[in-house]
Amino acid sequence: MKTAALTKAILPIAMCVPLLVPAHAQITGNPDPDSLAAELESAPISTNAVADPWEGFNRKMFAINNGLDGALFVPAAKAYRAVTHKKQRKGIRNFLANLGTPITLANDILQGEFGRAGKTASRFVVNSTIGFGGMGDPAERMGIDQHSEDFGQTLAVWGVSSGPYLVLPFFGPSTLRDGFGRAVDMGTDPAIWIRTDAAAYFRYSTTGMTLLSAREPLIESLADIEADSLDYYASIRSFYLQSRQREITNGRTSFDDLPDIGDFEEFDDLE
Amino acid sequence: MQPFPPLYRSINRAAIGLAGMTLALTAQPAFADQNAETFVQTILDEAEPALSVSDRDQMFDAIEDIVDKHVDMRRIGRFVLGQYARQMTDTQADVYYPLFKRYATQIYQNTLSDYAGQTLKVTGSVDRSERDIIVNSKLENPEPGDPFANAVIHWRVYRARDSKEMTVVDAGADNVWLAIEQRSQFTSIIANNGGREKGIDALIVELKKRVGG
Repeated sequence: MKTAALTKAILPIAMCVPLLVPAHAQITGNPDPDSLAAELESAPISTNAVADPWEGFNRKMFAINNGLDGALFVPAAKAYRAVTHKKQRKGIRNFLANLGTPITLANDILQGEFGRAGKTASRFVVNSTIGFGGMGDPAERMGIDQHSEDFGQTLAVWGVSSGPYLVLPFFGPSTLRDGFGRAVDMGTDPAIWIRTDAAAYFRYSTTGMTLLSAREPLIESLADIEADSLDYYASIRSFYLQSRQREITNGRTSFDDLPDIGDFEEFDDLE
Repeated sequence: MQPFPPLYRSINRAAIGLAGMTLALTAQPAFADQNAETFVQTILDEAEPALSVSDRDQMFDAIEDIVDKHVDMRRIGRFVLGQYARQMTDTQADVYYPLFKRYATQIYQNTLSDYAGQTLKVTGSVDRSERDIIVNSKLENPEPGDPFANAVIHWRVYRARDSKEMTVVDAGADNVWLAIEQRSQFTSIIANNGGREKGIDALIVELKKRVGG
C-alpha cells in the first residue's frame, strides 16, 4: 500500500512535497450564521487536528518544492537507482541511518525512553563494528529493530503542541514545532560546527545522499499519490500529519482519536 | 481477636472482587471482535484470487466487485465532505455520490493492486465501540526486503445497529487512513472555492475530471 511506504519514508525525505487541516480554519472568512453554526458543530474534527493558517504560504512553498522535486530530485533519484544495486542502496540507507543514531539516542533519553535508548546504543555499537561501519545491519538480525527520534518528537512528548502546519523549503512538510526541532537536531551535528573544507564536504555529501536515498524508494508511491489526488497539497498534508502522529507515539497510537465515520443516528436514516 | 481476621479477610476479598470488576469494565472497549475479524478474513480470502489475476483489467474488475459488495461508499462519501455535508443540495447529492463511488473505487483498485500476488492475513482487532471495529492484517510470508513486509494494514468495520450487518468504511496502513486523507482533500477544495454550494460544485467538477464522467 502506498500509504505504508509513505509512513516509513516521507518524514525524513519530506522535501518533495507537502498536508491536512481542518477546513474550519479556512471558512472563518464567511460570517454567515448558518455556516458558522455548522462550523461550530463539527469544527473539532479530531483532537489531534493541526491547523493550517499559513496555507497560502505553504501552498507556494509546496509548489516550489514540487518543481524542484520534478526537475532535480526525481531525475537524480532515478539516476541513483540506475547506477546502484538494491543491496548497495540498502547498505547506503543503513550507513546514513547509523550516522543519525546519536541524535536518536539523545532524543530517546530526553523522552525518558531508556529501554529504547539502550536499543539505539546497542545498534550503534553492533552496526558500527561488525556491521562494517554501518553498511550492514546485523543488529536487526539480532532482533534489535531500528527506530528514529528527533527533537520535534521530544517536544511533542514534553507536551508542546504542534503549532500550525508548515512547509519548509527543501525539507517539505512539517509543523512549527517540528521545524524548530529539525533546526535543533541540525545544530547537534558536530560536522556543522567544524569549519574545514573536509567537514563541509562531508556535511554536503551526507545531506545530499540522505535526500536521495530517502527519495529513491518513493518514486512510484508519490507519483501514484499525485496521480490519484484531487488536491495533492491537501493529500500530502494529511499523510504527513497522520504518519507523524504515529512516530510521536512510537507506534502506540490509540484508535480512540479517530473521527467517527459519520454520526450513527444521522446515518441510520439514510440506510 | 477471632472476629478480626475473618472480617479483614472478607474486606480484602471484597476489595479484590471490586478491583477485578473495575478492571473488567475498563478493559471492555479494547476487546477484540471475533465476528469482525472473520468478516475481514472472508473478504481477504475473496481478494486473494482477484489479486493473482495477471490481466490488470480483470484484476480491477474483480476488486471493484469486492468493493461494491463490502464497502459502504455512501457513508464514506458523506464523511469526506466534513462539515459541508449538510450544505449539499439534493441535486448535488444525486451527482456527487455516484462520482465519489467511482473515484473511491479507483483508489481501492490502485491501492490493493500493489498487493498483487500476495496474501493478507488478519492478525487481530480492536473495538472502538460495539459497532466500530478496527481489524488489523499483515502480509503472509512477505519476501525479504518487501517494503510492506512489516506494515499493518487496517480495515475499519461498522456494524449496522439493527441488522448487525457489517461493512468496511475505511482502510489504512500503519495508522494512515484513506478516508481521512480524502476528507482533507475534499474539504480543502470546497473551502478554497468559496465553501457551501459553490465550493461543492467545484469539488464535483474536479471529481468529474478525475473519473472522466
